[in-house]
Amino acid sequence: MTLRVLTVDDSRTILAMLHHTLSNAGFEVLQAEDGKQGLDVLKAQDVDVVITDINMPVMDGIEFIKNVRATGQHNSLPILILTTETSQDKRDQGKAAGGTGWIVKPFDPEKLISVIHRVVH
Amino acid sequence: MSDLDDFKATYFDECSELLTELEEQFAAIEEGERGSDRLNAVFRAIHSIKGGAGAFGFSALVGFAHAYETLLDYVRDGRVELTDDVVHLCIRANDIVADHVNAAQTGEALPADYGAEEKTRFDAIARGETASDAGGEEAEADGEVIEDFDIEFTPVMVDLEAPKANGEAPVEDVFDAAPMTAAEGQWEIRFTPHRALYARANDPLLLFRELAALGEMQVRAVLGEVPPLSDFEPFAVYCAWEITLVAPDLGEDAIREVFEFVEGDCDIIIAQAGAVPGLAAAAAEPAADNTDAPASDEPDLSSLLALTEEEVAQPSEPVAPLASFAPEPAAPAVGAQDSFEEAPGLSFAALAEEIAPAPAAKAPKADTPPAATAAAKPVAAPAPAAGGDSEDNGSRSVGVQSIRVDLDKVDRVVNMVGELVITQSMLTQQMDETLRARYTELVRGLEVLAQTTRGLQDSVMAIRAQPVKSVFSRMPRLVRELASKTSKKIKLETIGENTEIDKTVIEQLSDPLTHMIRNSADHGIESPEKRLAAGKPETGTIRLSAEQAGGNILIVVEDDGAGINRERVLGLARDKGIVAPDFTPTDEQIDQLIFAPGFSTAEAVSDISGRGVGMDVVLSNIKKIGGSVHVRSWTGKGCRMTLRLPLTLAVLDVMLVKVGGGPYVVPLSSIVETMQCSRASFERVPSGGRVLQVRGEYVQVIDLAQRFDLTSQQNPDDQFVVLCEAEGNQKVALVVDDIIGQQQVVIKSLEENFESVEGIAGGTILGDGNVALIVDVQGLRTTHLRQNAA
Repeated sequence: MTLRVLTVDDSRTILAMLHHTLSNAGFEVLQAEDGKQGLDVLKAQDVDVVITDINMPVMDGIEFIKNVRATGQHNSLPILILTTETSQDKRDQGKAAGGTGWIVKPFDPEKLISVIHRVVH
Repeated sequence: MSDLDDFKATYFDECSELLTELEEQFAAIEEGERGSDRLNAVFRAIHSIKGGAGAFGFSALVGFAHAYETLLDYVRDGRVELTDDVVHLCIRANDIVADHVNAAQTGEALPADYGAEEKTRFDAIARGETASDAGGEEAEADGEVIEDFDIEFTPVMVDLEAPKANGEAPVEDVFDAAPMTAAEGQWEIRFTPHRALYARANDPLLLFRELAALGEMQVRAVLGEVPPLSDFEPFAVYCAWEITLVAPDLGEDAIREVFEFVEGDCDIIIAQAGAVPGLAAAAAEPAADNTDAPASDEPDLSSLLALTEEEVAQPSEPVAPLASFAPEPAAPAVGAQDSFEEAPGLSFAALAEEIAPAPAAKAPKADTPPAATAAAKPVAAPAPAAGGDSEDNGSRSVGVQSIRVDLDKVDRVVNMVGELVITQSMLTQQMDETLRARYTELVRGLEVLAQTTRGLQDSVMAIRAQPVKSVFSRMPRLVRELASKTSKKIKLETIGENTEIDKTVIEQLSDPLTHMIRNSADHGIESPEKRLAAGKPETGTIRLSAEQAGGNILIVVEDDGAGINRERVLGLARDKGIVAPDFTPTDEQIDQLIFAPGFSTAEAVSDISGRGVGMDVVLSNIKKIGGSVHVRSWTGKGCRMTLRLPLTLAVLDVMLVKVGGGPYVVPLSSIVETMQCSRASFERVPSGGRVLQVRGEYVQVIDLAQRFDLTSQQNPDDQFVVLCEAEGNQKVALVVDDIIGQQQVVIKSLEENFESVEGIAGGTILGDGNVALIVDVQGLRTTHLRQNAA
């Protein structure tokens, strides 16, 4: 079974790199450019894990996570926060909103995969 | 590696968009719009630039962007007030970021301390405003990060949080500690998840799986807290676990790292049972100490609490051990055994390495350790997180509305469509009247083909077209800077910024426009005093406009300044030998002199205009993209420079002519009319050239055969003349042997394929396979003028 990952980031570079890394590792990759698009994708498709940026236009990552959890349909969907923040507060906010774990950019491809496997069956 | 290059290309594309966005945002911010939307957008832009830079190891850029971002963050949340000073610092910082991006792209090295001063100011501002709270500490921490980047950038993914309330020993840096802390022996872990752990979609099973990869493990459920069934709360968490992990050479940090994501969402106690040799034996039995012997509560409740409904259905089994994971089978990927046995402490790198190539093989059921007890089965069964078997409906990338295509690929299509258009027009031309009468169906088909090809051409061109806004948006700031440097009052008006032009044209437009605007601000607009004295408004206006006119785009830079000082320009031109002493140019010719090569108004080597290059650079840049520049000046009233640019660089409407037996093409856009006349009607002028009188106007004659060293094959009494208009409405009469007709051609660069030739703008391949050269009317005229003046 191919695992499906939704990647949400307003940076095309990051989306491209995630896509490359993840699809090489055998994941199916969906993309969204902000939280709102991310929610739309989740409405339309089943996803095994979400990787989301925090700073995004339209709907930021924190709001996005809150909204995902608020639907009640994705309580067990692992959401990884993608962040370059060296400060702790963004990560804490993300976790408080319902984030499962985090990935610090720039990510090492191998570690990215291992972190995903840490939260996905 | 080409993937990396692709990413880099994407990144630099993105950077240039983000930098443009920064310009736009700051233009508004400077006007006083300081809403959080703008600040957030600015923050995001810098954040994205930094993020990508980190991925590629552009450490200098990361360092600077990080400091800048910190400041922006403080501004955003109000810790730092956005004063005009700060705005100016930010604008300067944008430039530095742009320079860093550029340096990263071109591989140039910037000075090591480039932007250091600004960086120091960021820190100072940030610290100054936040001295009381943790900000100072944070700033220091940030400083360290920057230094790390400066030395050598190491990608770091996981960052351990400092432990919180539970009073554990501080966690050291994971990468220092993880590989080998020589704490041998057996670990006892008590793990009590809170409700929040589940709410955030973490799953104890996955944690156990990860632990199991570290060594030999036993898990026991602690069910002492389980209330009577009647008191059950559906979402409450009653189950805890005790884990015995036998892993020599494993440090506590490595264990903590497994629990990294759930810290704060669980109670966790990690203790070393003692560095006793012969651990295997000890581990075989549940460790006696530190254990409330598993209670004889309802055993299947434990499964219910911890995991999923599926597991409830499983038959009861003794509670302890709930699961017994042997390291080998528990390792999720096939073939992982060896590396784990050799280096059980290696955890992450090894795990990732093994997993990465074959994640598909990681289907939950395949994980079930063959050696596991019956009770272990449910543990390994899919948890609710799996989200059901996702249907492979194949639809990907739902959120993305556009695709990115290599410009090269588009160019290839443009080129081929160009050839198609030409072939099509050739076919149409070959249909003479007899054929037309005979094959009406074919004619109709050709007409449809013509229409479709045109449509195709337009669509392809539209792909490459971009609004000039991306260039125009950089100009307001330039004008502001110029105004403050020259102590003049200047406002910039922009019109038609949504006009679209070919992307390559746009890219070439920035430098010439910058130069022209500099010129206007520096030489055109007068000081406020002079303006007032001349009865003009104190504030000068520079108007930048773009519009489409036929097959061309006109970009006009207009100012209401003093106009060109013709006396001075002519004087300088004579001094520099650009204009012969006995030649008296017209006013328009004088104006045009500012574009002459080597003409740089030497007096004006100011900070602004005179960067060692004159307006001739503007002209050559514009000519390179097939455009022309025309300047018109009104003394005391202002100056207007008009750039005429082709809509597209690929296809050109031309007139096909014959000179000395060979085909040449003249761009249709420069042709005014064609005529036939005798050579006798060319009149000699004292300077040595010849002129032709056309309706009372004398026009310079350029004999192409003579010019290209060919022999005219035409009867001198019956000569064809193509009357062309060069820059500044100056007409030129080109003498050719024959006029064949109009058509479209695809331009092939002579410079790229051969070398630059004076008087020739490029080459093309005609429908019949012959090569024809494209006549450069403006170039011919300039050379002609120079030769006659000399």
